[in-house]
Amino acid sequence: MGWEEKQVRGYPEFVQTAQRYHGRPIFALFCGDKDAEGRSWCPDCVTAEPVVRKELHNMPDESVFIYCLVGDRAYWKDPNNEFRKNLKLTGVPTLLKYGTPQKLVEEECFKAELVRMLFTED
Amino acid sequence: MAALQRRRLLGVSGLSRTVRALSGKNEYDLLVIGGGSGGLACAKEAAQFGRQVAVLDYVEPSPQGTKWGLGGTCVNVGCIPKKLMHQAALLGSALKDAQHYGWNIAQPVHHTWSVMAQAVQNYVKSLNWGHRVQLQDKKVKYFNMKGSFSDPHTVRGLTKGGKETIVTAENIVIATGGRPKYPMHIAGALEYGITSDDLFWLKESPGKTLVVGASYVSLECAGFLTGIGLDTTVMMRSIPLRGFDQQMASLVTEHMESYGTKFLKRCFPTKVEKLESNRLQVTWKNTDLGTEETDSFDTVLWAVGRAPDTETLNLETVGVKTNSETGKIIVDASEATSVPHIYAVGDITEGRPELTPTAIAAGKLLAQRLFGQSSELMDYDNVPTTVFTPLEYGCVGLSEEAAVQCYGSDNIEMVCLRERAQRILGLHFIGPNAGEVIQGFALGIKCGATYPQLMKTVGIHPTCAEEITKLHITKRSGLDATVTGC
Repeated sequence: MGWEEKQVRGYPEFVQTAQRYHGRPIFALFCGDKDAEGRSWCPDCVTAEPVVRKELHNMPDESVFIYCLVGDRAYWKDPNNEFRKNLKLTGVPTLLKYGTPQKLVEEECFKAELVRMLFTED
Repeated sequence: MAALQRRRLLGVSGLSRTVRALSGKNEYDLLVIGGGSGGLACAKEAAQFGRQVAVLDYVEPSPQGTKWGLGGTCVNVGCIPKKLMHQAALLGSALKDAQHYGWNIAQPVHHTWSVMAQAVQNYVKSLNWGHRVQLQDKKVKYFNMKGSFSDPHTVRGLTKGGKETIVTAENIVIATGGRPKYPMHIAGALEYGITSDDLFWLKESPGKTLVVGASYVSLECAGFLTGIGLDTTVMMRSIPLRGFDQQMASLVTEHMESYGTKFLKRCFPTKVEKLESNRLQVTWKNTDLGTEETDSFDTVLWAVGRAPDTETLNLETVGVKTNSETGKIIVDASEATSVPHIYAVGDITEGRPELTPTAIAAGKLLAQRLFGQSSELMDYDNVPTTVFTPLEYGCVGLSEEAAVQCYGSDNIEMVCLRERAQRILGLHFIGPNAGEVIQGFALGIKCGATYPQLMKTVGIHPTCAEEITKLHITKRSGLDATVTGC
């Protein structure tokens, strides 16, 4: 069956999508919003995205990859935003395996071997 | 002879690792067997020097089937989950006290095991992951395999599924640690009892629990189980906390008793049976009264000692010597075993404290000596430690018993030498945050602090720690040491 990608924006849409695919392995990449030209305000996210995308084929069958834009810079900087409070995110980009403590934060997302390890480790 | 062995093994296993046999070169500069406190510290440090390092880690499931990830005993079934559950129990006490300080908290307060257990287990899993990321990041090759020696530079790794990999290394460090012992001579002990390996991974509350043993593991577990509201009993054959200062050990157990833990002193279990209700019926002998007694429990936790994990390593094949009584690996001051290029660190080694910080330090220093041109040896003297019972007990240096044995009772006054400079030999503190208190004093001991210097140190008020700077009543004087004023 392979894997499929879902693109969402904001916390409620993320939770809704994750719940819909409950039971399947869910991986999520959280990035800062992109402008009209498709560039994110978060430079690390710009670096990480192609690295992560290149490794997606390593995800187990039936996986769901959720690409989630968290919001604008001001929203992200607010220490009480829903991603920080409920998902305990500490930075963007964050790549995580939903429902597990396994995640990669910021520069860790630049490293292909770490991304691959996240997608393939038990 | 070794070459003959190697070729024979390759023939039998039919693997492709013929590189070494052909070229005579070892694949790795360092292979560490055991991914716990000592092993990981050694591996990561060696990798800093740009060396080719590999780690083998494998957790044999406990008899009850419990298993866990990378990180060793401390992370998974020791220090970390223990401290978290101890904290859970302390918070329970704080909640009870809180109403006296004005907080509106409905009494009695209730505790839900599964909520705590899940939080603890998730935290531990995040640590397992953290170690995986670190190893990968530092380019340390990780094998989730059980290792055994084929020859002094070759280790055979076996996965859970039976897949085999041969690893060769110039230097090998054994850091496989230990596992809890089961009392094999007690009927039902193995089938019905659990150990600390299982306790922290229970999904459901252990309920009414019997903890057998007088070790710090036993007392710490019994302590937090009592603290979260469970009916808990400790059964001890003789003295509590053997090896620790006995005056302090009594204070610890006395506090636990007043705090609600039941003690069956000078008793030992004879059998464990399962009842129809699924409860466990334990029968024991009371050596003081000469009677046999019985009671039922939901859980029986064995905390009767730990055994080194060497059985499946195949040490005899390579000639690594172990202590015949303890089974631990004999090492010299540089952590070297009886076989050149084979070393050992941590709980597996004979005569060393079974502590995480000493294993980590020894592992790091070993890597520095092997690859970093250092000659610094591990200093095992005056290692501070703390027993995290409800009333915590922290200490550094000698116990009263050890000091007397070393220097003779005429020369001991509390914790220091009587003559000349009155150097402090040991410091023992019972109270909240004992670990935090003793950590600072450990530096003083390392610097050779004396009693007069301690008396000149001004205390911080109001704290518990300041009492240490006011110690002036000697045991010999027979005066009452209880502090009354401010």
